Amino acid sequence: MRVLLVEDDTMIGEAITSSLKDAAYAADWVKDGNSALGSLACQHYDLVLLDLGLPGQDGLVVLRSIRARHDAVGLLIITARDGLDDRISGLDGGADDYVLKPFDMNELLARMRAVLRRKTGKAEPLLGNGTLSLDPATRQVTVQSGTAIGLSNREFALLQALLVRPGAILSRSDLEDRIYGWGEEVESNAVEFLLHGLRRKIGSGSIKNVRGAGWMVSKDG
Amino acid sequence: MDGLKRRLNDSLQLRLSFWLSAAIVLVAALAGVFSFVSAFHGANELQDNTLRQVAALFDRQALPAIDGAEMRGSDEETRVVVQHLTDKTRAGDSGDTRAALPLRADLPDGLQTVEIEGEAFRVLVKTTRFDERIAVAQETGVRNEIARDGALRTVLPFMGLVPLLLWLLANLVRKMFRPISALSAALDQRSDEDLYPMDTDSLPAEVRPFAAAINRLLGRVERSMKAQRRFVADAAHELRSPFTALSLQAERLAQLPLGADASERLHTLRGGIERGSRLLEQLLTLARAQETMAPSTANVSVGAVVRRVLEDMVPLAQVKDIDLGIVGSAGIDDIHIPMDEIDLVTLVRNLVDNAVRYTPPGGKVDLSTSTSEGTTVLQIDDSGPGIAPSDRVRVFEPFCRLQGSEQTGSGLGLSIVQAIVLRTGATIALDYADSRTPSGLRVQVRMPQRAGAAR
Repeated sequence: MRVLLVEDDTMIGEAITSSLKDAAYAADWVKDGNSALGSLACQHYDLVLLDLGLPGQDGLVVLRSIRARHDAVGLLIITARDGLDDRISGLDGGADDYVLKPFDMNELLARMRAVLRRKTGKAEPLLGNGTLSLDPATRQVTVQSGTAIGLSNREFALLQALLVRPGAILSRSDLEDRIYGWGEEVESNAVEFLLHGLRRKIGSGSIKNVRGAGWMVSKDG
Repeated sequence: MDGLKRRLNDSLQLRLSFWLSAAIVLVAALAGVFSFVSAFHGANELQDNTLRQVAALFDRQALPAIDGAEMRGSDEETRVVVQHLTDKTRAGDSGDTRAALPLRADLPDGLQTVEIEGEAFRVLVKTTRFDERIAVAQETGVRNEIARDGALRTVLPFMGLVPLLLWLLANLVRKMFRPISALSAALDQRSDEDLYPMDTDSLPAEVRPFAAAINRLLGRVERSMKAQRRFVADAAHELRSPFTALSLQAERLAQLPLGADASERLHTLRGGIERGSRLLEQLLTLARAQETMAPSTANVSVGAVVRRVLEDMVPLAQVKDIDLGIVGSAGIDDIHIPMDEIDLVTLVRNLVDNAVRYTPPGGKVDLSTSTSEGTTVLQIDDSGPGIAPSDRVRVFEPFCRLQGSEQTGSGLGLSIVQAIVLRTGATIALDYADSRTPSGLRVQVRMPQRAGAAR
């Protein structure tokens, strides 16, 4: 995978290129928009990381020129501009994602992988948070790369609801909505009952209760 | 005298009253003098005419000029004396010496004022057809009295009307100054953030330029405040890039095989960088919170916002083993308030963040909401040390740190909360969560449930 970094800040540029190389990407680094367009013209890239606050040509102008000529390349904006207008014009201008400074390199790498997945059409089917991974095809859950555990339909529905966005708190009524279809009668304590069973199967610490608010699976396993 | 002078300088109303009264008194005095002079002349004329007529009567009728004959009036002063002007002996013969005036014989013909025994007399000397010289005389006292009376009658109403005029004047002036006092009262009630120009249409034309000048000043103050806030926001913005570079380098450093000491120091270093970035974000949030925006028209669900904040705060609470949760959560999803969602998230997050930060490990943080009389109350209780009543105003100041606190927050959390509270028409109150011990902080934010309560 070849990545083009467009960033005028030397320290940030050095840090990102080194980290990209560590993560086994082939990384080229340019410091302004014209060099970026030149590099894109004579070299194939899978991904462009674009800073908006560039000297001379603004990043958004560069973005439009790139999109006009190289339609397919994946593009992430990395910027200190946090205004809603900037985000909207960035995403409308054809960026695939928008990463705000300061960011962690791990987060940037994860977002790059997500963009690449979308671009190559290989959406990862597994839901998970690093500890748990749920396979919708087999309806099986794996805890820390152990053996796959089979789940009942409602257990699966409940865990799937929680794993769609790890870290999100879902209330009892949120979970009931996910488990029961329209017109189905909601049994009292059904959520607690299902959670009890699930915790026995996948470990009691994997699903956390937030007092008064609901349940969640943690973001990072 | 100095006191009066100072008070006169202080109050336009007093000054007006004082000088107008002085003017009235002066005018009254001048009118009195004028009236006296004109009445005096009139009386003089009248007296002279009387004397002439009496003399003519004696002459024409050839009345015997009885020496000392009197035309008696109602009193001593108005009597007219008619006598022959001869030498003293003849005058003395008349027998009625009481009436005869000791007039000198050589008085010329015509009108004159003569002083006799300390009293002034107006005397007309006339030579009759029979070559007799008669004198017709009357005291001048009556004339003076008429003039004095005339002057007094002119001045008296003025004098009597002065208190009434002053009262009227004071009332009128107060009434005319009413728009100005109403305006200053309205200005006094404004919040610090409210720098909108005031309405000058209802003001008198004389004061309008002054109000317009104040409006221009308000405009300049607002511009400079905006510039200052923008500078803070821009500075924080600009610092993002170097902080990104720092944290990226530190992150890379952490991937190298390091000794135990080096790892520990790197950990501290990354903590410091993290703290700096957080301070930057809080500065930007504060700058945004202080911006004046139109009141929100959309309703936001308190339950959804509280849950969203808990999602962010649960990891930190778990690290400190703090029991973070909602008390009495039934119906929390049905509470909607007219507020910008980002505002409410920022407000709740900063309050919960403070609570978790200042509560010792193993403690408890409770959120609850209630509604009454069109107000939604969001309450956050923690089991930390609480804030003493004497510090409860100071903690809202930016970068305020209380003694004995070891926490390394940005020092901006409560300032951000207050900025949002002020802007949205809400109120905030601090108390002890447990008043017996006393300990724990209880924060209550009262938010209007209907839009329009906010400015």
